[in-house]
Amino acid sequence: MPMHSPTDTPLFGSWPRAYAVVLGALLLEIAFFYGLMHWFA
Amino acid sequence: MSSLDWWILGGTIALLVLYGLYKSRGKQSFDDYTLAGQSLPWYHVGMSVMATQASAITFLSAPGQGFSDGMRFVQFYFGLPLAMVVLSITFVPIFHRLRVYTAYEFLENRFDGRVRSLTAGLFLLQRALSTGVSIYAPSIILSTILGWNIYWTNLIMGGIVLFYSVSGGTKAISYTHLTQMLIVTVAMFIAGFLTVHKLPTDMGFTDALRVAGKAGRLNLIDTTFDVKSRYNLWSGLIGGFFLQLSYFGTDQSQVGRYLTGETIKQSRIGLLMNGLLKVPMQFLILLVGVLVFVFYQFHESPVFFNKQEVERLNAGPLAGEFQVLNRQHQGLSAQRRAAVLNLQRATAQNNDAAAAAAGDQLDKADEALAKTHAAVSDLVKRNNPAADKNDVNYVFLRFILDYLPHGLIGLLIAMIFISSMGSIAAAYSSLASTTVVDIYRRVWPGSTHNEVVVSRWSTIGWGIFCVVVAQFTNRIGSSLIETVNILGSLFYGVILGIFCVAFYVRSIGGRATFWAAVVAEAVVFVCYYFDLMAFLWFNVVGCLLVVALAWLFTTLQLNLRPVRVADE
Repeated sequence: MPMHSPTDTPLFGSWPRAYAVVLGALLLEIAFFYGLMHWFA
Repeated sequence: MSSLDWWILGGTIALLVLYGLYKSRGKQSFDDYTLAGQSLPWYHVGMSVMATQASAITFLSAPGQGFSDGMRFVQFYFGLPLAMVVLSITFVPIFHRLRVYTAYEFLENRFDGRVRSLTAGLFLLQRALSTGVSIYAPSIILSTILGWNIYWTNLIMGGIVLFYSVSGGTKAISYTHLTQMLIVTVAMFIAGFLTVHKLPTDMGFTDALRVAGKAGRLNLIDTTFDVKSRYNLWSGLIGGFFLQLSYFGTDQSQVGRYLTGETIKQSRIGLLMNGLLKVPMQFLILLVGVLVFVFYQFHESPVFFNKQEVERLNAGPLAGEFQVLNRQHQGLSAQRRAAVLNLQRATAQNNDAAAAAAGDQLDKADEALAKTHAAVSDLVKRNNPAADKNDVNYVFLRFILDYLPHGLIGLLIAMIFISSMGSIAAAYSSLASTTVVDIYRRVWPGSTHNEVVVSRWSTIGWGIFCVVVAQFTNRIGSSLIETVNILGSLFYGVILGIFCVAFYVRSIGGRATFWAAVVAEAVVFVCYYFDLMAFLWFNVVGCLLVVALAWLFTTLQLNLRPVRVADE
């Protein structure tokens, strides 16, 4: 595992949580786009 | 363009160039010049990373792509958030810890000088070619507005950026990136809002989306798996992931941006911010293109969006043929407008059968218009063999000039210029730093020359090369944003493969990796030459081939065992 510097405090409490937020946002976007496409088809 | 637009255009460009020069004033060390002294906070890193990727091509080509091909291009960016996470976990801490200037320095540490030189060479080649295309993109604007010769325009555009890049260091680039992104976002929102405002009074935003949907422009997600299809969910998630990982992880124009972060945390948050904002931003830019498409359902659209070529046609021997096609286009446009009005009425009355019939009518008119457009494109090429027969890059520009209010025209065109200058400057800076750190220092290890001076001369050399490339770009004849991505995909997969072996397969040495990369690059070129797959898959093939071949060469013990593995 990479070393962290002392100032490297994680975002959103922990880095895994921060990564989950980014990936969760992507999933929501894909779902939103899919819904938009079908709604207006 | 009115005199107000010219003042706003000239004033904005002059102010931002002066701002860049002001920020880069004073004596700079090589560390300051290349990495801004590793002193910048996360929002600088994030905005700089976004501004480097979003050049004039993004704002010119992407709305045109939305107009002509719909929104399926957004899928291309789905791999980006995944790549940002992997980068944050792996690449960022390693690069920071080793305190490297370029990503390729790490490769000598891990393998040997040969792998480092090969990778740096591949990067220099692809980045210089892509930057040539990036210079050409804003030059289209000048040539269209001023009627200038495109070759002279490339020269002037490349020259201004060269002057700015040589004078300013990385810190100045990052400061201007921050300002650019804020202003460009505001300008694009205003452009989108005004496009909706210019639709007929009884047509709202959702009605516009309905028309776009019926005309197949809201083709946001395609779940079919087809390696020949350019944009679908899988090519975006898998191919896009490999492309973005390679672009952000191994392309010095991006690595150089997030290495300016003060700490690992600042660089990481900057990249994650990019992962959160990029897909919505690209969605909104494409949406503006789709709204422009809906706008032209109610207004006479030009038969060909490149005005200069239309004027040439009208004045040339093919004028008669062109007039026939133009009249055909006007007739079909009227039919399409009638279909859209029928669709709007049927939707308002909740009459599904009538709405479906109007949708069919719209499809047929759209298809016939596309055929007429293709015939006009052929005519343009016959009339002027040097002309670009694809007008997708001119759509948004023509709309801005014909329909947006004065003042905003100047601002939007200035923003296209400024964003282009920022990304070209970042590319020049990365070409120069790679040349100095990975080539110059290795070839002349004991040189006593000032490295900032060497960097400046190197920038001048690359600037001239990129302008020469730009002179040939108008013969490509496809969407510029696609051209840049295809160029990147030819090299990125292999470069990423080298880094993957370096990071994750520690038993493989430099010789095996070197030859695996050479073979993999040849295979990628064969795939491109024979059109074996859509370009995003080149990234996957290149990367996996390097890893597999390097492993195979090592396993078969083809005298390719590492010469030395410095970090073991």
